[in-house]
Amino acid sequence: MLARPIAVGLVSAATLVYEVLLVRLFAIEHFHHFAYMAVGVAMLGFGLSGTALAVTRDTGAQRQVRRLAWAAALTPILLLVSPALATRVSLDATRLAVDPGQWALVALLYALLALPFAGAALVILLSLALEVDRPGLTYGGSFLGSGAGALLSIALMRWVPLPDALSWSAVLAALGALAALRAETPRPARALTWLALALAASATAYPAQRLPVSPYKGLPQVEAFPGAQRVAQDWSPLGWVVAVDAPAFRFAPGLSLAYQGPFPAQTALFVDGELAGALTRGSAGAPEFLDWLPSSLPFALGARDRVAVIGAGAGLEVANALSHGASQVTAVELHGDLVRMADPGRNPRVRWIVQDARTFASRTSAQFDLVTLGLEGGPGGSAAGVRALSEDFLHTTDAYRAYLRLLRDGGVLAVTRWLSVPLREPVRVVMTAGEALRREGYRPSQALVVAHSWATVTVLARPGGFSTNDLQTLRAWTAQRQLDLDWYPGLTQPVERFHRLAEPVLFQAALHAAAGPDSARAFSRQYPFDVAPRSDARPYPHHYLRLTALPAFLARGQGDWLPFSEWGLMALVATLGQSLVAAFALLLLPALLTARARGERGLVRLGGYFALIGFAYLAAEIAAIQQLSLLLGHPVYGVAVVLAGLLIGSGVGSVWSDRRQGRAWVAPAVLALLAGILSATQLYAVHAAQPTPLAVRAVLALAALAPTAFLMGIPFPTGLRSLAGARTTRLAWAWAANGFASVAAAPVAALVALEAGSQVLLVTAAAAYGAAALLIRAAPA
Amino acid sequence: MVSTIEVYGVRDPATLDALRRVPRHEFVPEEYRREAYGDHPLPIGYGQTISQPYIVAYMTELLRLAPGQKVLEVGTGSGYQAAVLETLGCEVYTVEIFRALADSAADRLRRLGYADVQVRHGDGHFGWPEAAPYDAVIVTAAAGYIPPALISQLKPGGRMVIPVGSVYGVQNLILVRKASDAAVTTENLLPVRFVPMLSGLR
Repeated sequence: MLARPIAVGLVSAATLVYEVLLVRLFAIEHFHHFAYMAVGVAMLGFGLSGTALAVTRDTGAQRQVRRLAWAAALTPILLLVSPALATRVSLDATRLAVDPGQWALVALLYALLALPFAGAALVILLSLALEVDRPGLTYGGSFLGSGAGALLSIALMRWVPLPDALSWSAVLAALGALAALRAETPRPARALTWLALALAASATAYPAQRLPVSPYKGLPQVEAFPGAQRVAQDWSPLGWVVAVDAPAFRFAPGLSLAYQGPFPAQTALFVDGELAGALTRGSAGAPEFLDWLPSSLPFALGARDRVAVIGAGAGLEVANALSHGASQVTAVELHGDLVRMADPGRNPRVRWIVQDARTFASRTSAQFDLVTLGLEGGPGGSAAGVRALSEDFLHTTDAYRAYLRLLRDGGVLAVTRWLSVPLREPVRVVMTAGEALRREGYRPSQALVVAHSWATVTVLARPGGFSTNDLQTLRAWTAQRQLDLDWYPGLTQPVERFHRLAEPVLFQAALHAAAGPDSARAFSRQYPFDVAPRSDARPYPHHYLRLTALPAFLARGQGDWLPFSEWGLMALVATLGQSLVAAFALLLLPALLTARARGERGLVRLGGYFALIGFAYLAAEIAAIQQLSLLLGHPVYGVAVVLAGLLIGSGVGSVWSDRRQGRAWVAPAVLALLAGILSATQLYAVHAAQPTPLAVRAVLALAALAPTAFLMGIPFPTGLRSLAGARTTRLAWAWAANGFASVAAAPVAALVALEAGSQVLLVTAAAAYGAAALLIRAAPA
Repeated sequence: MVSTIEVYGVRDPATLDALRRVPRHEFVPEEYRREAYGDHPLPIGYGQTISQPYIVAYMTELLRLAPGQKVLEVGTGSGYQAAVLETLGCEVYTVEIFRALADSAADRLRRLGYADVQVRHGDGHFGWPEAAPYDAVIVTAAAGYIPPALISQLKPGGRMVIPVGSVYGVQNLILVRKASDAAVTTENLLPVRFVPMLSGLR
């Protein structure tokens, strides 16, 4: 009888689609970190259903069947109603610090978002309770459904406008509810099921979901400018791209204060409502102002015939290279929709490559006179540190080394970043460029130049070094444009003529980066922020706040600038704090009270085992996604393939586990070993395989994933058999412990990845699996 | 409110006096009036805010204004900053790109008797050339570039202050000086105490 596992699979697919789309939707309506917090906490609904079932007394199978039917029928309705109501909660989280009333709205939002998770979890849990003889099949159905849901959500994001796509999760859940119908299902529940299906289908056919973008984002503000007009938009899993023509919009990062010429007409491009750059229109392709942007510094060294623009975005640096006479510009940009909007006329001198820049760098045989990484997007996110949690493989030491290898003789690598005070990002770029030069066998002392405008910093790395003539030219060029040269070979004292910083930090950073690795390390250690170069094992080049420094910064009191410089980490810590408080209130406390009242034993072992495997699964999953998506070269499709592969592999493992009796400790023990081996080897294998074709890389990724994924599906069902038996309350506690641990594990794993890297994260997964193996091995038969 | 600002390091008696005299509650939306004298920004629509009083005071102090001087403001918002400048005895020209904000600020300033403030709906990129040159320019919303017109409309010896970061969360301030020989230099300043709108979290 496969009806229940099928129902579980459909409901799990619905939940995954809901989760993925909700994070995207909230990231657009609000900001990414609020989405992470809100949806992360809402997933506690999963554990909550376990607690709810556990505190009710065990009842007969008939009652469980009725409960299952009601939960299944209500879930699709909750999936429709919850997001519709959530977008109407007029929360202004920017006012949380000063308006306590906003916290009540946050609580309301969490509760609304959590309800569908709770409903879906109850369906899975009750199915497990009704199928105690084959937990592997039921839980495997959940894994397989989630895997399919991961792929489906990517497809939906590609082909359906995001606000309209959400109702598809309700359709899936309604189909799940239909599959769960049995002869003994009460008539009202049966009617509600059909009603839910009808509502979900009509919501999909006639979508009415709103998308109220935060008024603090750039898109609504530019669209409110006089004469503004939205000229194009497109949806994809990489984001919602909108192009707006507005006469009052201008984008010229760090433009020289000496510039007195005209401005060209520009089209503003937004991704998810935030500025992603500008398309410069008209003026015969060579607007005068481009030569007065600080990112034009490498062109002062003479003609750059062949130019590669990494992360070309809306094409400002492409236009810059063309206006400086490049005969061929290779523009590498992952976001196909941006490319379509950035170069509609298809300039024959530009070759657009829609690909991850790291994949491009490892596979191309072309050589360039200039590899440039310019500025796309406004200074806001950079200054507030909201990108701290973003994985970015374009600014690691490994990345800069790959760019240096693309250079011809005399070629230059140029990186321009916003100058946000306190200085963090540009300092790390200087340190990373120095380290990359050194590791490639060049002398940073001869090969670095750093310059800053009033708003930006440009770093040049030239393996062949700079001649006296070059330096003279650079000095004249920067003086004319009122830029300060912070560092060049031979400089011994800081010189600031035009734009004074509180301290000559850029000079000091370059001085130490040039002096050698020990000096660079010493500088990074004593700097108030973490500015040491990042490797691919810890790809968070926009994260600067040391976790250990957080309490000291917070103790400085409200209003001090330091705590507000790094919102990414703060959001992560807040998510963890909220998850732990909720886990205590909604899991631990009820468990302790109920256990005492009923005299239950062995709950610590039961809870501990399921919490450990919940944590281990999440930690291994996050590390695998990070490393293998670098291999596959796409942050969305790569993640989807890895996630789906992992879930489907686990589903097969879970189904297979029903055939296996006894020795429940073996799977977690082998997983501990495997995770340890992957920690030591996987990233090296990823680097070695990067130059191979995509098909080979995909096969390698799935081959690396399959055995681990298969085994990862086994510990939950075998643990249920060994530790929970046939009692629904024990099953419910196991579920609750696993659910809460999984939710709390997400920020913990993110923190470990952030602070120590994906290899260490795999070691923590290994340790958790090892501890789970010991716990279950020592359990009384 | 003013004593808090004083504690944070704003010392100029004229600036502090102007902040005491301007009724800030008149410049915030009805629903936020109770919070008008808290040291934090408040929303005024169009994703714009009335700045935190400390930032208003700090930026005003940086300009080193004297009565009778001519000041250009880019980004009128609610008109609060303009009212503070006028209270200092300055002649104020202020430009706002959102028409609704420009109109309501003009009405409000007129009703409250700030006669020396001229409000214009327009694109701040071009400054206000007819009334140039200015002793000081204050920009309340920066977009990653400083409009050339604002530099050329600044008198030699004049000062301009511009916040950089996002419009709803000032991260640092740029002080631009134009020397008597018209040479332009900047200084990156960090406000010691500011309450941002929580830029990462909405």
